[in-house]
Amino acid sequence: MKARAVKGLDCDGTLADNAERIVRVRLDELHRLAPAALDPSQSEALHDMRIAAKRLRYALEATLPAFGPGAARGIEVAKELQGTLGEIHDCDVMVEVAHAHARELRAEDGAAVRAALDPRAEDLDPGLLRLAPNRARYRGLEALVTYLRVRRDVLFAQFAEQWAELDRQGFRKALERAVSERPEPAEHQPAQ
Amino acid sequence: MAKALDIPDLDADTVFRDAAARAVEVRTEELFDHAEGVLDLDDIERVHDMRVASRRLRAVLEIFGPCFPKRQLRSALADVKQLADSLGERRDPDVAVSSLEQIGAGLTSDDAPGLDSLIAELNSERRAANEDLAATLEETQRSGLQVRLMALAAEARRT
Repeated sequence: MKARAVKGLDCDGTLADNAERIVRVRLDELHRLAPAALDPSQSEALHDMRIAAKRLRYALEATLPAFGPGAARGIEVAKELQGTLGEIHDCDVMVEVAHAHARELRAEDGAAVRAALDPRAEDLDPGLLRLAPNRARYRGLEALVTYLRVRRDVLFAQFAEQWAELDRQGFRKALERAVSERPEPAEHQPAQ
Repeated sequence: MAKALDIPDLDADTVFRDAAARAVEVRTEELFDHAEGVLDLDDIERVHDMRVASRRLRAVLEIFGPCFPKRQLRSALADVKQLADSLGERRDPDVAVSSLEQIGAGLTSDDAPGLDSLIAELNSERRAANEDLAATLEETQRSGLQVRLMALAAEARRT
């Protein structure tokens, strides 16, 4: 997913004013992706939201000293979302890897059985399946796919709850406020 | 995962182009500091740390993009992306193997042949990805990427 361009950046302006623009765009990007990503069948939207969380996190990490104290919370949130969405993505990828591997094993087995086939036979002797070198391997791969699918459901429920909780806490408004604030200059901070 | 180095002397009033230069200098240094031992297949954390450093560098190049000369930025960004991709190709099977070993511990011995077969395939991918990474690292050195990135930072201050 291509990042949305941030308009109006001024290289001779302050870090704070430019960084605020960048973070607002990245935050908006994250929120715009949420409705589609909250549909568990939309793997691509989930993947895009993970990338958006990563961009928000890195933008905040690179510019944090420009903002008020609340901005650090944005890094934590983005990191948590990135973590959960990353694990969901890993499950999706691993299911595909397991299926692809099973296809390769079936192709090898098919070739081995075909090689043993008597060209004069009217039908395939089921006993030839004993010659399939991978026949004991499918069970583990099926178990793995089942595990990954259920784990994905568990992780997706966690993500949906994380997002709902952020909504309840007013995360977006809090971060927008934090990036509009500037840190107190050190000499103005009250003595501890 | 290695914690990102702080970018020194940044505050709200830092001029954006100066912040750009400092960020690229620090993140470049961080990336190349993690290069040592990255091809060691027995230590999967090194490649992870360098991959994260490459992502952080790529991020600052994009965040501060308008402060750099376009042509040099495009070329450096493409090379950082290629390095990040090679590190990712090596890292992904590392993670997958580690995760399959954990899952395998919860399954029965009857399930083991399937997982072992997949792990063997992923290990073979790791070795191939490590060879590709070695070639990318050589190319990175040959093309003087580190020097080009530092020059890019200097340009940001000058422009």
